Amino acid sequence: MTPSIEPLSSPVPPPLTDLSTGLEETCVAGPRDMATTLAFALARARQEDRRGVGLAVTRAWLKEHGRPYGPGRRSLCGGRDLILMIGRTQAEALWAMEQALRSGGLALVLGAVDGADLTQTRRLEFAARDGGSAGVLLRTRTGDLSAARRRWRVASVASEGDADDVRAPGPLRLSAELTRSRGERPGLWMLEVDDETHRLRLADRLAGHGHGPVGRSHAA
Amino acid sequence: MILKTARGAILHALNPAARGLGLSRGQTQADALAMIPNLDCRPADPEADARALEALAVWAERWSPSVSLDPSGGGLEGLFLDVTGAAHLFGGEAALIAQIERRLAGAGARARAAIAPTPGAAWALARWGTTGRIAGEDVRALLAPLAVEALRIDAATLRQARRFGLKTIGDLYPMPRAGLARRFRDADGAGLVRRLDQALGLTAEALIPVRAPAKYRGWEAYAEPLTDTAGIEARLPGLAEALSRSLERDGQGARILTLTAFRVDGRAGEVSVRMGRASRESSVWMRLFRETGIDRIDPGFGIDALMLSAEVAEPLSAHQVEMGQEAAALQAEGLAALIDRLSARLGEDAVRVASPAGSWLPERAERWRPALAKAPPPPEGPLDHGRARPLMLLDPPEPVEAIAELPDGAPARFTWRRVTRRVSRADGPERLSPEWWRPAGGRAARTRDYYRIEDDQGLRYWLFREGLYGPEYTGAPDERAPSWWMHGMFP
Repeated sequence: MTPSIEPLSSPVPPPLTDLSTGLEETCVAGPRDMATTLAFALARARQEDRRGVGLAVTRAWLKEHGRPYGPGRRSLCGGRDLILMIGRTQAEALWAMEQALRSGGLALVLGAVDGADLTQTRRLEFAARDGGSAGVLLRTRTGDLSAARRRWRVASVASEGDADDVRAPGPLRLSAELTRSRGERPGLWMLEVDDETHRLRLADRLAGHGHGPVGRSHAA
Repeated sequence: MILKTARGAILHALNPAARGLGLSRGQTQADALAMIPNLDCRPADPEADARALEALAVWAERWSPSVSLDPSGGGLEGLFLDVTGAAHLFGGEAALIAQIERRLAGAGARARAAIAPTPGAAWALARWGTTGRIAGEDVRALLAPLAVEALRIDAATLRQARRFGLKTIGDLYPMPRAGLARRFRDADGAGLVRRLDQALGLTAEALIPVRAPAKYRGWEAYAEPLTDTAGIEARLPGLAEALSRSLERDGQGARILTLTAFRVDGRAGEVSVRMGRASRESSVWMRLFRETGIDRIDPGFGIDALMLSAEVAEPLSAHQVEMGQEAAALQAEGLAALIDRLSARLGEDAVRVASPAGSWLPERAERWRPALAKAPPPPEGPLDHGRARPLMLLDPPEPVEAIAELPDGAPARFTWRRVTRRVSRADGPERLSPEWWRPAGGRAARTRDYYRIEDDQGLRYWLFREGLYGPEYTGAPDERAPSWWMHGMFP
């Protein structure tokens, strides 16, 4: 099988392309960036694909980060159902993610699994191709070797403030760093999630009040 | 066996030796010890007895799909088996009775069996019958010589019948029914006449089976007992094939399948699998059984029969597939199969979908239910009220230490999970009143003020203060001061 690689000179920056069939990987920059990372993955789901979304987690993960919730989840999933798969161990969650990818019943499967090695990520990649689904591993630490086509590092960034009330938090801002990719140049992008479409767009750093936010140092 | 009752310790069950010494059920322990000073007394456990009887009832499904517990109790516990149309499978009624008694004896349960057209008559013949224990048209004659006790009447009715000189069931036949009905009424109002009618088949009697009888079941008995899981797994495909064929004949598919294994020692083990949509693919069933774990069945000393039943079956129409919707149908099939497999392996509780519920309280506003369970009806009223809600919700909320500039304002700094964060932006409060109609664990529910908080790192949280300064907290020493809680994270 020859892997399909996106052309080098892609006119669209990688974070704004939809997730394609195959496996990607995101790593949180800090322990509390999980909600932002989840939003980054959900906002990139293929819009025309009306299949549901799966999230494979462990019980420990649910305890640490809470459960996906209500309107926030509904708007980011674009009205699609979210199926939560709870494994007792990382291995069970990984198994569930692989099954979900292979089944072909879901458009996007997220797996909050840390301990996946090269072989396991390859299995996930093949399962995703079998099922025509997109898979995203949500890691809390950078993995060593991985078969994922793109590897991201996502961090929350201080927002611009609300348009009507500067003291209130404004729309979501995040920085996404492409640390590794097949055939693409790594880079760092500052992104916003559109309130209306719930899609990502590049944040205009010149807009707003000048003393714009600066992303946290990504050196881990 | 001793049972502690309101009247003190009484004898609950006796072995033949004790009965031979003149002791009887219901006697007080003190009396019994006075008669036999070295009597060996043990505490009785009626709940364990009931459980054992129920287990035995499941095991007895090898002879009939409909097995009910006899509720009469009082040392006369028994099972009702509906063997209508089933006796010929075991070589006739006499052979069936012999087999039941032999098997139960082999399993360590001394039992007597009888077959009669009504549960009442069978009950009487099994316990009191001497010569014939298979009744057909002659049920009236067979019952006539039996004592009136055989009619399942309570002690008071029995005493009264004796007082009138009515000793046998035959004595009742010539009596005027109206008079009998008036005089003999037992505690639960069943009455002597109704019991008599039930025994003779003049009144119907409903039995409640321990497990709802399955309409579709496949069944195999083995001359050589199976002693391990591999043996069961090897026999299962044959059973599945047979069941699948009978389902196919009627255009049905199974939603819940149960595999029951009958052990030689009078116990039965079972494993069930559930499917999101009806199926009659025996290969799918096999995979689900393997993932649920056939090894949950303990083979014990050997399994001599296996039964596979479709607990819930529903019509399985060939799905109407329109042109162009084929792919969508395939995807839906794939999703249903995925949910079945994940539920079988991880447990039904581990595969969940959310459904909105009608509540203003965030943690009650949606419920995660097993994906195999039926969706509840959608709640009334709007789901989204346009207010910001976090993507991740901590349930239950976690305590936070917060410092606010004003007691009833947004926090300026807070400590959560041992990390102190400085608040750079805050939005709120959004005030949610408690659902006062729900008891809140012993203490009065209080109002919550929710704030959307962004810290100087750009991380966003959903904090609330529980309790209002003023109306809900005046500063009295015995009052709980308002407290801060972390309830969720925004992306």
